[in-house]
Amino acid sequence: MARTWLMGFGMVLFRGAMIEMLDHTADVGFELRDPTLEGLFEEARRGLLMVVFERPPEEGGDDREIELSAPDLETLLVRWLNELTYLVQDAGFVPVAAKIRIRRRDGTTPSLEARLSGVPLKLEEYGWQGEIKSATFHGLDVANDDEGWHARVILDV
Amino acid sequence: MNFERIGQYKYRIPREGKMEVDAAFYASERILEDLGAEDYASLQQLANVATLPGIVEPALTMPDVHWGYGFPIGGVAAFDPQRGGVVSPGGVGFDVNCGVRLLTSEIGRGELEGRKSGLADALYEAVPSGMGKGRKDFRLSRKELSEVLVEGPAPLVERGYGDPEDLGRIESGGRLAGADPGAVSERAYERGIPQLGTLGSGNHFLEVQYVDEIYDEEAARAFGLSVGRITVLIHSGSRGLGHQVCQEYVERFLEAAPRYGIELVDRQLAAAPIESPEGDEYLKAMASAANFAFANRQLITHFTRRAFASAGLGQSLAVLYDLAHNNAKFEEHDGRRVLVHRKGATRAFGPEEEELPAEFRFVGQPVLVPGDMGRYSFVLAGTEGAMRETFGSSAHGAGRKMSRRQAKKAARGRNLVREMEERGILVRAAGRATVDEEMSEAYKDAADVIATTHGAGIGRKVARLRPLIVVKG
Repeated sequence: MARTWLMGFGMVLFRGAMIEMLDHTADVGFELRDPTLEGLFEEARRGLLMVVFERPPEEGGDDREIELSAPDLETLLVRWLNELTYLVQDAGFVPVAAKIRIRRRDGTTPSLEARLSGVPLKLEEYGWQGEIKSATFHGLDVANDDEGWHARVILDV
Repeated sequence: MNFERIGQYKYRIPREGKMEVDAAFYASERILEDLGAEDYASLQQLANVATLPGIVEPALTMPDVHWGYGFPIGGVAAFDPQRGGVVSPGGVGFDVNCGVRLLTSEIGRGELEGRKSGLADALYEAVPSGMGKGRKDFRLSRKELSEVLVEGPAPLVERGYGDPEDLGRIESGGRLAGADPGAVSERAYERGIPQLGTLGSGNHFLEVQYVDEIYDEEAARAFGLSVGRITVLIHSGSRGLGHQVCQEYVERFLEAAPRYGIELVDRQLAAAPIESPEGDEYLKAMASAANFAFANRQLITHFTRRAFASAGLGQSLAVLYDLAHNNAKFEEHDGRRVLVHRKGATRAFGPEEEELPAEFRFVGQPVLVPGDMGRYSFVLAGTEGAMRETFGSSAHGAGRKMSRRQAKKAARGRNLVREMEERGILVRAAGRATVDEEMSEAYKDAADVIATTHGAGIGRKVARLRPLIVVKG
């Protein structure tokens, strides 16, 4: 992996969780850490909002539920980020918090259920930073070690 | 990274490891320095592309090469269906058939001057970014969108959204054959319907420019370009519909690849044989998304014309050419039919190619190369050199040198909109972030990319365009 991958900055620490924005010449990315897998996916949601908004909203009222499944955790993370991107950009719903439950049948085919609370999209109020086309599989990694779960993802913007 | 110089601007990466073929790239000394500064990450991505089955030598990058995801940006790779060649949705990219369209006019720069601010406002109003609910004044039914996915912009032109002559000035006549809306998901439809006729954000733009310099009189005449005349450059793609198509097929191909014994060195390169049910279905969906993108730029053209008229500049804006820089197309090269992937690379057919409009067939295809929003863009002509060496491909832009975050940091404490206004360029943008990210300094000097392209003989310099109005999503 190129050295530039490692040039992380803009680190955010929150209750043992971590989001580190990564520098990519054409796109954007982030590295995530959390003691739990559900926490890691919640950090991914926060990271996404940090990419698209300068001032992401933090409180919301409306609820939505999402169910996703995937062949592996990496694909589940990509689907999660793409679903959230769709909600923000196409449905105009900004998910400000998520209660997430992840099940891993046989340890290999994970599925996710999430209850999202959110607010309507307000471009100017939240400081719109620009569109995301998709989360990518390039350099994608989801794994756990002694310190908990970590992930790295690059978004095409 | 192991490479050797084989020409003034050309380098070869010899086949090694899992590479099926040699790779080649074009670079000046400065471009080579930029590649080194990112640890040759783009060249490693190029070498990764060379591992895909059925690739025809060489895997290539154009002079505006930079680090992408999967394929490098500026990547060109041709695959032979007869030799197990593959198609890779990630190699086409999320923004299927993203491209540029140049409109020419008889309007003089002086004529525009007094109406500039009004025109900038009218264009910003007429061409929305498409976030949230999309266009309010134009919406197709699901059935009408299906027709666009098969036919491209022709049904829109029939309904008055353009001139019939526009269609002949679009790559492939504005219609990729083989599109099948049945291969496009409901979610893609849902995302596409409100976004037809919208610009998007990031590096997408609409620019009003003037022709500042002509380098090749004969080609410029054929293209209708003369010094001081106003042009409009539109950069956009297939919007959420294309993004959705790519997302879904990358995932399907990740599952399909092992079934065909395809080893992926990067998962974003997920691929399946061209001649497989998966390959066939993706190509049908990709052609549908491509036709959406052609139609999108057609609709933006229509609303641009209306904005010019409302600003008191009613003279006609003619389409010089519309070309794509993210797609995969069947073409004949060296006597065989291959599927050419261009990821951030422009198709650049040389003179006498049958598909080109008769008016400029003798000079080659217009090749539109946007620079950055503060400096200049270029018009080139396709060459025989490109037909020989690059599967008829050329550069597509300047290429970023700063990440978006670095650019924002560099813009801190500056008012780029005001700076540009002081230099005679009016900017209308949805937010400050896009302007900061897209600042001139974030890009390599397009002139260096053009000098390399011209010097390597894979494009011929025709004209330079300078911006007067920049609209960003």
